[in-house]
Amino acid sequence: MNNSDNRRVVVTGLGLVCGLGDNVAECFGSAVNGVTGIREVKSVNTDGCYANLGAEAKITSDKLSGEDFDRSSLLCIKAAAEALADAKYEITPENSARIGVIVGNCVGGAASIDKYFTDELKNSGGKTTDILKMPASAIANNVALHFGLNGTTANIVNACAAGTISIAYACDLIRAGKADAFCAGGSDSFSSLAFAGFHALHALDENPCSPFNNSHGITLGEGAGILIVESYEHAKARGARIYCEILGSGVSSDAHHITAPRPDGEGQMLAINRAIANSGLKPEDIDYVNAHGTGTAKNDEAEFLSLHTIFDNSDKLSVSSTKSMTGHCLGAAGSIEAVLTVKAVCENVLPPTIGYTEENLETLKEKAGKIDFIPNTKREKTINYAASNSFAFGGNNASVVFAKNPKEIPDRTNTERVFVTGIGDYIAKNRIDIQSDDYKDLGIKMAFWRKLDRFSQLMLVSGMKALADAKITVDDNNARDIGIIIGTSDGPMTEIVGFQKNVVENGTASGSAFSFPNTVYNAAGGYFSIFAGIKGYNVTNANGVQAGLQSVCYAADVLRNGDESIMVAAGVDENTEVTEYLYEKLGLLGGKFGLGEGAVSLILETESSANKRGAVKYAELAGYASAHKAVEFGKLKGSESAMKEAIISACENAGIKPEEVDLVCGFADGNSEVDELEKGVLTEIFGENYNYASLKEAVGEARAAGAAQQAAYLAKTLCESDKYKYALAVSFGVGGQYSAVVLKKAV
Amino acid sequence: MANEEICAKIKEMLVENLRIPEDELEYDSELFGDDIGLDSIDSIEIIAGIDNLFGVQMTGAARENFQSINTLAKYVEDHKE
Repeated sequence: MNNSDNRRVVVTGLGLVCGLGDNVAECFGSAVNGVTGIREVKSVNTDGCYANLGAEAKITSDKLSGEDFDRSSLLCIKAAAEALADAKYEITPENSARIGVIVGNCVGGAASIDKYFTDELKNSGGKTTDILKMPASAIANNVALHFGLNGTTANIVNACAAGTISIAYACDLIRAGKADAFCAGGSDSFSSLAFAGFHALHALDENPCSPFNNSHGITLGEGAGILIVESYEHAKARGARIYCEILGSGVSSDAHHITAPRPDGEGQMLAINRAIANSGLKPEDIDYVNAHGTGTAKNDEAEFLSLHTIFDNSDKLSVSSTKSMTGHCLGAAGSIEAVLTVKAVCENVLPPTIGYTEENLETLKEKAGKIDFIPNTKREKTINYAASNSFAFGGNNASVVFAKNPKEIPDRTNTERVFVTGIGDYIAKNRIDIQSDDYKDLGIKMAFWRKLDRFSQLMLVSGMKALADAKITVDDNNARDIGIIIGTSDGPMTEIVGFQKNVVENGTASGSAFSFPNTVYNAAGGYFSIFAGIKGYNVTNANGVQAGLQSVCYAADVLRNGDESIMVAAGVDENTEVTEYLYEKLGLLGGKFGLGEGAVSLILETESSANKRGAVKYAELAGYASAHKAVEFGKLKGSESAMKEAIISACENAGIKPEEVDLVCGFADGNSEVDELEKGVLTEIFGENYNYASLKEAVGEARAAGAAQQAAYLAKTLCESDKYKYALAVSFGVGGQYSAVVLKKAV
Repeated sequence: MANEEICAKIKEMLVENLRIPEDELEYDSELFGDDIGLDSIDSIEIIAGIDNLFGVQMTGAARENFQSINTLAKYVEDHKE
């Protein structure tokens, strides 16, 4: 094997459904020919709204796969089916654990939330089965279950950058040897939530959007894009057809504003420049950028500035926004644009931005400089390197580079040891009685605090406490070297439900501009980065209870990948009247099971960074792993093998045998199905006698916050006691996703 | 001094819709200053709230009208039908 080949990640399959069509060929054909998918909206009542356009996929949900899933999952399955068939990827019991699902999403099961509360408030009552369709946590699992894929899963919920980040993360995991392939991409269904929200912000264009041209606002769309991203070695071994290479990616935070991009483009440029540098390229090498190009004045101005600043020495750059035809598909946007970009690279033809009049073309000539903005008609030219940009609410930016031919990329792998150097916990049984001193003591003013919904408030307190505990001061010198991974099970469901109930009762035109920014799952990470000034990697993963522990794994992956030197890994979930209402309806409350809430953050740091700062080390993160065995979302039984695999792999990763583990912190929460499954697997691995700690009796099922707390508890215990050398935390997600981490006494 | 009843309704709306602690909000508090810290998104919410409560359109109204609860109430009084 050529040494560089094992870092090659290639695209071997494509799947697409959106307003442009039901498959890749139809969508790409429309896009290059400038045919729009934007029409009058059908699925949302736009009475009283100043805009009524959208790019809905023509296919109705009853024509999608027959499962009782939310439309977001069904669209994702449709695109994944096309992509897997296109890749001729045959799933067998032997290979199923090596192909996973990482998908981006913004509004989660918004269509089902709308339906449930419409039924509840206006009809004969909401259906319980619709409750399980509400969280974004369900989507990757539903896709995995449909196709029998048993590799790890993640739902990247970074709003409009989610689709691009998913592809970037999938590539990083493949390069780290953790999978052979992923269904990577994103999906979002059209929703009254998004329509009412962008309407309230006056961010919708009355006419079809025409980004970089008439920057009067966005037009929403829906759809799903899936790429089969695969290690080159694996693709070669099975004789797969290769579309193109995926090179480097870049992820960053603006640390500026919850909805608006930084006007100076700093965060956007950091993501784009990182993607180009991580690809071993220079800006002049890039032939095409599929822009984020939403059509809002603020995005277009900032991105225009970013593109000009980075690429003004280039004589050959073409840029277009396919959102002028697909609409803005939010969590699916980056994935849809990635599919179109891959096709463009393969076929040497670029889709245009449509909507330019003769007069607009004159204006464009004056401002375009050397950049070719491909107005109205396709451009045929050789595309060797293409980048796709996505920027999101919360100030999250991402960019990824595709290449026609193999290209060696810099190996930035950082094999240093990683330590836990700070802990911030804000967690309690049932509900935290938030006092103003809780945030004022951290220097957070009421004027900032009041903008945050409860979910974001919990995260902000925990994150700031962790930074203070680690004695980290964020400044211009280190802001770009610090990143954030947040895990959640249920996300900001209280804010989402509050927003949605108002829309159901008072109409789409009555959406709250104040509330809407907080309905995206990554708002908490956005507010935290803004307040703390953190400008590096910033991702939120909604993936059940274990997401709070998977965040530790993901953060360690980012450090290992050489992207940052310090990571905040957190778990957060709230418990409000809305949470209790939903869990009660699902029949989960009662007996020994009760909810808790909060956020727990751990600072993970490379050894050199910790030593340089003279940081106190709680413990070493010696090993970590995630595993998945797809069972129905809401269930756990049948997924025991994945729990076992996560634990065994985490031990292997730590270089120890399971019998060397001195203490296990488990996830038993009083639900008998959960508790029995855990006990069975732990006994199988560790025998009848092992040291076991359980935290949930004291704090309830605080879900992702509880999972992160398990790791924090072990780190503290290893620091304070000489009794233990190795300790293991393991957590579960309904649907069969598990994460495990091995912590080692710091020496 | 603007109409007490209008001021009270506006205050209730601001507390409810914009999560401003009731005890930190006076009728003359500077809404867009450092203490309360409202921004452009909040002003959209205020315009919608005033329209809902009093049927008064504040879209495009001059910035000084948004200074405090008192100035908002005065605008409502002057433009109420």
